[in-house]
Amino acid sequence: MTRSSFAERNLRILFPLPAIIFIAALMVFPVLYTLYLSFSNWNLTSGMPAEFVGVGSYVRVLAEPRFLHALGRTFTFTVFAVAIEAFLGVTIAIILNRAFFGKSVAKLLLLLPLVATPVAVGIVFNLFYDPTIGLLNFALDALGFPQGRWVSSEKTVLMSLILVDVWQWTPMITLIVLAGLAGLSEEPTEAARVDGASEWQILRYVTIPLVMPVILTAMILRLIDALKTFDIIFAMTGGGPGYASETLNIMGFKYSFEYFRMGQASVILVVLFLVVLLCSLGIMKLRAASEL
Amino acid sequence: MKNKFVSSMLFYLLVAVIALVVLFPFLWMLSSSFKTQVDITAWPPKLFFVPTLQNYRKVFEEQDFLKYFMNSTIVGAVSVGLSLVLGLPAAYSISRYAQNKLAVFILLARLMPGISFLMPWYIIFSRLGLMDSYVALILSHMLISLPIVVWIMSTYFSTIPRELEESAMVDGATRQYAFLRIILPLCGPGIITAMTLSFIFSWNNFMFSQVLSMEKTKTLPIAVYNFISYAEVDWGGVMAAAVAIMAPAILLTMVFQRYVVKGLTMGAVKG
Amino acid sequence: MRNKLSKTLLALSSLCISAGAAAQSGEIRVLLANHPYGDLLKQSIPQFEKSTGIKVNVESLQESQLTQKLTTEFATKSSTVDVFMTRPLQEGKMFAKNGWYAPLTGYDFADYPKNIMNAASFGGKPYIVPLVTEWQVLYYRKDLLQQAGLKVPANFDELEAAAKKLNSESVAGFASRGKGAAAVTQLSSYVYNYGGQYLDKGTAVFNSKAALDATRFYGRLLGSYGPKGVTSMSWENIMPLFQAGKVAMWTDASVFYGQIVDPSKTQIPVENFAIANFPAGPKTNAPFIVSSWGVAVASQSKKPDMAIKFLDWASSKEMAIKGMMGNITMARSSVWDEPVVRSKMNPGLIATRAFAAKNGTPVDRPYMSAVGEARDLIGELIIESINTKGTSANVEKMAKEKVDRVNELLKDSGEFGK
Repeated sequence: MTRSSFAERNLRILFPLPAIIFIAALMVFPVLYTLYLSFSNWNLTSGMPAEFVGVGSYVRVLAEPRFLHALGRTFTFTVFAVAIEAFLGVTIAIILNRAFFGKSVAKLLLLLPLVATPVAVGIVFNLFYDPTIGLLNFALDALGFPQGRWVSSEKTVLMSLILVDVWQWTPMITLIVLAGLAGLSEEPTEAARVDGASEWQILRYVTIPLVMPVILTAMILRLIDALKTFDIIFAMTGGGPGYASETLNIMGFKYSFEYFRMGQASVILVVLFLVVLLCSLGIMKLRAASEL
Repeated sequence: MKNKFVSSMLFYLLVAVIALVVLFPFLWMLSSSFKTQVDITAWPPKLFFVPTLQNYRKVFEEQDFLKYFMNSTIVGAVSVGLSLVLGLPAAYSISRYAQNKLAVFILLARLMPGISFLMPWYIIFSRLGLMDSYVALILSHMLISLPIVVWIMSTYFSTIPRELEESAMVDGATRQYAFLRIILPLCGPGIITAMTLSFIFSWNNFMFSQVLSMEKTKTLPIAVYNFISYAEVDWGGVMAAAVAIMAPAILLTMVFQRYVVKGLTMGAVKG
Repeated sequence: MRNKLSKTLLALSSLCISAGAAAQSGEIRVLLANHPYGDLLKQSIPQFEKSTGIKVNVESLQESQLTQKLTTEFATKSSTVDVFMTRPLQEGKMFAKNGWYAPLTGYDFADYPKNIMNAASFGGKPYIVPLVTEWQVLYYRKDLLQQAGLKVPANFDELEAAAKKLNSESVAGFASRGKGAAAVTQLSSYVYNYGGQYLDKGTAVFNSKAALDATRFYGRLLGSYGPKGVTSMSWENIMPLFQAGKVAMWTDASVFYGQIVDPSKTQIPVENFAIANFPAGPKTNAPFIVSSWGVAVASQSKKPDMAIKFLDWASSKEMAIKGMMGNITMARSSVWDEPVVRSKMNPGLIATRAFAAKNGTPVDRPYMSAVGEARDLIGELIIESINTKGTSANVEKMAKEKVDRVNELLKDSGEFGK
């Protein structure tokens, strides 16, 4: 047995060190800056410099009904979007998880919604959804179904946006889970088959549990992004009609660059950060449990 | 015999349906990019129309498409490359040494809403004089890719049995060597996925690119916004720009994927 | 050998000359908006560079991104911007308050209408040079009105009657923006014509009887005869409807006329589209006429002399005439009288502008620093009115609520009562 080098003994520190340094370097100042602003009352429209007001801005923002509604909407949007994406994403991954003619083409096509520029997607779907000249109502009408208001109505805007999100991001889950499925060893499924299990049983009791960590990883990544969804909502409704599709990130943007209330905007961003953190930790606990 | 044929047909039918749903909006974007303004907003919707190249002409001639493309490619390739260099070892460490807190720390970067970075980064980068270079853009894009690489790969590494590197170490290899030559080559699918997703996120990133770039370093998504003016939305232009942005992204991911697979298998230990 | 030497000398000397020239002339950074005039400036920059030797580093951005970028740069005091396009009525007051504009005391503003200059000056000093103007007009379908035997509505009663008559299952009788904040500028002319205002001497007064009557009227028109989903529509949603022939009449800013009568953009033959003065209200006819975009020098600019040169050029009469020849409605008064312009420009634009210039109101929104938030608040009122076709019993109470909040905003920014 050779003497292990310094490097090898301290691999657990050396390997992640560059990444840690990088993230710390880029994040420290923004985190402190945002925190500092959230404890201030900096408002560009007053022309006055920022003053420290402790939790003053927090009180003002958290007490606003509009804020609480945005918080609720953020959850609604995320839960529905990620749930649907996870279900569809995993299903499609399982369906595609076999060698078939055109598989690599299929995987390439799956990339397309992911690669589409959000603002262009927003414009396309806005045109689809237009109640008067949109393709969707036109098709529904032709098939004899009732037409809808989609993003033009407070009642249906959130669901309409969720559909767009599902279209764009389901492939991400599919691709991650497909890679996970590809990495699974054949033994467990072969053994189960030999034991006489049906395909469905194999799927349910062997494959899915084995790939669950990967599924949950994909869901964590998707969850984080869904809570912060910005591009689609901004491009399609800007938070409207009224405030009916305003999520925390949109509200944060408006407070920053339309109202110029930097202090209160930072409060919204800090809350959003905490929400994302708590949700991620929650799902991570789930993932740790599934790995046992 | 018949059963197999039927189930095969059903399978392909299912794949076709999925493909259609996934592709439909994109097909609409593609056809619109060849339509005149009038045809795009036509009522009833036009299925047959006289195609035109004027939108693409505008994208390539009136917009500085080549410059945007070069910038997006450079920023994307370098940021993803560096994210792999920093992220793969970190992911391996997290997987083998169960460093969950570290994993969460790295994920923190992705948790912060993008807006909260704009002003502080602008201050830092402009004071350091990095604004008119690719550095600011690459660093900001890395902050998005690194967590993706680490998270996907740490899970992926965990599915590879420890026995593999341990048996190599028994034979006298260092852990680093085992990581590089044995484990990594087995991770083709995972690395490709992490790399592809990171590259796509970088390619489409608008917010950071817009605030942290100057005229010389502008990236592709700007091209789409250039068709959205104060009093006009050039639908055809937007669609053509969007399509023109998507195509190279897909091609580049194909190229990088092949490159990565080659690089990995070249380092693989035979036998 | 000699050849090589002379070549080297030539190279060296031209390097020195260009270095010297660069030191003299230098480079400036200019931010423009995605706007027809911004495009014109961008195209013409090579000529500016040639004649002044100043290199221009130009970026053009969509309007809300321009504000975002300028705010990020200016607020962090790390900006390198020298000259930029700006919106006097939207960010003007806020930027001026924070001292982000450089004063333009040497500039000659004689060619600009006085009331427009009021919005470009703060504390009596001018900071912005107005570039383009726009005013509210009525776009309509000549053929549809003719078929229904209607003449062009000259007042609100006729407008409502025409909207009612022209409204059908396939064509909306009337359209105007309903999307909250975006609708505030369009509602303004209605409010003025009823005799009301948004702000009066730094106090919110849009809950006056006149303003509320206007809001109800606007809601009634749009709620009864407007396109489906109008409460989420701004100009970019209404325009394709109008161009597809699904709307009979549309009130909005004059700046869209060019596209409406462009045969490559509309399905209806362009002879059927026309423009008319904004209809009169019960009290008066004073539609808004504002300077939507101007150009300013950044107070943080380290090259103010070069910046001013660019500003002068960008706002010069020559460039203005070029703009007018491209149907861009400029702010300079004299260019509207140039014969070559009058022969080329759309007569409808000339006529409606003359009317608005004589009688119009120079603001189209509450003129205050926190205008973004105020617009969202008033926008809620507009949406409520549209959703209830103007009949909501809630309107007075809601308006009072919004007025109180806007007054709060004014107080917070020190503009209340001024």
